[in-house]
Amino acid sequence: MFVQEIQEHAAAAVEGHAGKFDAGETIIHHVANSPLDEPLIHLPRVMGIDMSITKHVMMLWIVALLLFVVVTWAVRRYLKQDRLIPSGFMNGLEAVVVFIRDEIVQPNVGKKWVMTWAPLLLTFGFFIFAANAIGLIPIFDVLGLLDHYVLHTGDDSWVKHVMHGGTTATANYNVTAALATVTFGAIIVAGSKAHGVVKHWLNLAPHGLAWPIYILLIPIEIMGMFVRPFALTMRLAANMTGGHIALLSLLSLVFLFTEVGGAATGIGAGVVMTLPLAIGISLLECIVVLVQAYVFTLLTAVFVGMAIHVHH
Amino acid sequence: MTGLVQFSAIPIGLGLIVIGAALGIGKFAAAAAESIARQPSAADKITGAINLPLFLLEGVAILAEVFAFLVLIMGR
Repeated sequence: MFVQEIQEHAAAAVEGHAGKFDAGETIIHHVANSPLDEPLIHLPRVMGIDMSITKHVMMLWIVALLLFVVVTWAVRRYLKQDRLIPSGFMNGLEAVVVFIRDEIVQPNVGKKWVMTWAPLLLTFGFFIFAANAIGLIPIFDVLGLLDHYVLHTGDDSWVKHVMHGGTTATANYNVTAALATVTFGAIIVAGSKAHGVVKHWLNLAPHGLAWPIYILLIPIEIMGMFVRPFALTMRLAANMTGGHIALLSLLSLVFLFTEVGGAATGIGAGVVMTLPLAIGISLLECIVVLVQAYVFTLLTAVFVGMAIHVHH
Repeated sequence: MTGLVQFSAIPIGLGLIVIGAALGIGKFAAAAAESIARQPSAADKITGAINLPLFLLEGVAILAEVFAFLVLIMGR
């Protein structure tokens, strides 16, 4: 259903353009953050960093607020009832929490440290899932449709501003890099807590080997320390961006065919190729959204566990 | 030159990435199916053991694709 909405929005965009349809430009515009020279809210620079609120920052706040409100509301309501058995939404929430704690955290981190690391990993899991899932809903594209057909706001309006850029905060490499930095810190903290600060760094390389091996081993281990969060960053962001690019390039087929052979060819291509493939990719994305949140949580748990249970 | 890189090298590179990733995932799936068929009771353990390397493999493929995309953007 939302595929059609995107399609209609793209049609509106092409009408507004009144020129040749540039697929690459449209796709990048839909995936990227809003441009730095026109953020949603202008804020001054603090220590050389532009604090202006762009669209992805807004999406981060929306996701955080939504999660906070929904989870707090569910838990409060559960605590107020006098039965111990949760019902409705709380039931599902509890199932997910128990799954993350017992299937992801405990096998990797171990019984002793479950309660130390479960809160962080639960936060990761829920936050990434919510950010991914909200990116799948074309909220602002529907807003653009409304604007085009119903509201008719001016060029400087907030609605036009908010149309610049994508809605998936986790498709932004800066966001995932920040999340992976938390993982990076968590690994060091976990190792230091379990073995002491000095022992954690000694644990990086196995001891008791001939000294020439260490010349090779120590740089490799230090590189590995940075590669793991880097891979986490790239995996999440690239997966989220990739899905959107695939979906949008399929939708662009309609307009490319329209340019070549007229409206009838475009509609034909849309019905025969775009619609089934785009629905398929959308369904695949529903799975990817879940899997990527799971993978990020699982890998963080594994890395934290590796710092705690050092075995060589 | 940049045009040549954009229109031939990147598609070829993407194809190679996909071939590599597909071979890897295919081997995983084959081994998993085989071992589960031999010992259906260990299905949970086998799935658990396969998850992590599968994601690492996927990560490598994704990294390669990101770099192909970077080359595309830098070439503009």
